[in-house]
Amino acid sequence: MVEMAVRLLPAGFDPAAVHGDFLARFGALGAVMAFTGVVRETAKGAAVDYLYLDWYPGMTEASIQGIADAAVERFDIQALCIHHRCGEVRAGEPVVFVAAASAHRRAAFEAVDYMMDRLKSEAALWKREVGPQTDHWVEPTGKDADDLKRWSDK
Amino acid sequence: MIDILFFGRVADMQGKRRLAMTFPEEGLSLFALRLRLFNGEADERMRMSVNQVMVTADQPLHDGDEVAFFSVFSGG
Repeated sequence: MVEMAVRLLPAGFDPAAVHGDFLARFGALGAVMAFTGVVRETAKGAAVDYLYLDWYPGMTEASIQGIADAAVERFDIQALCIHHRCGEVRAGEPVVFVAAASAHRRAAFEAVDYMMDRLKSEAALWKREVGPQTDHWVEPTGKDADDLKRWSDK
Repeated sequence: MIDILFFGRVADMQGKRRLAMTFPEEGLSLFALRLRLFNGEADERMRMSVNQVMVTADQPLHDGDEVAFFSVFSGG
């Protein structure tokens, strides 16, 4: 039985507290890997005040859960955690936290890498960058597509 | 009735996030609905779902369906 904590959060969260809790619960397994994504203050040279992540209640949660389920299927991990923000996320605030725990490091490293690559392109979220000189919807880049392909032939 | 939702860039294109429409007696395909809502503005990058499952434009529609139109995902 793999422990999964998958959350879509309309309000801010503290990734250090989530990480601490995850470590306390699953650290004894041997290997814990955690990633936090934070909203950058600039994008392509333009200042960013906040991201707005539009979401489809129900479908967005299901898409993120599907990514978590696939990671459990694919990697030998015993616990995972995904916290993803939706709504308005200010520059400097965490937007995503992903962690995995396993007996040995490789599975945890790879599971987190895999979940992040899929979240970028396959989570049902729509990201808008807003700043003094910018206001536009972000679309996945060629790099995001390449990142996803890393996992397609394994 | 069918419930029509718009997300991301597509909500901006429509100027709204939600629309209710009486289901026509003669039936309605997703392709025809897209044409009616977007005329020539819809491109191949527009995505669609019916009852929260991603589908292609040849999907048949039924009275009571929840249909959504949106741009490509960008999370993470």
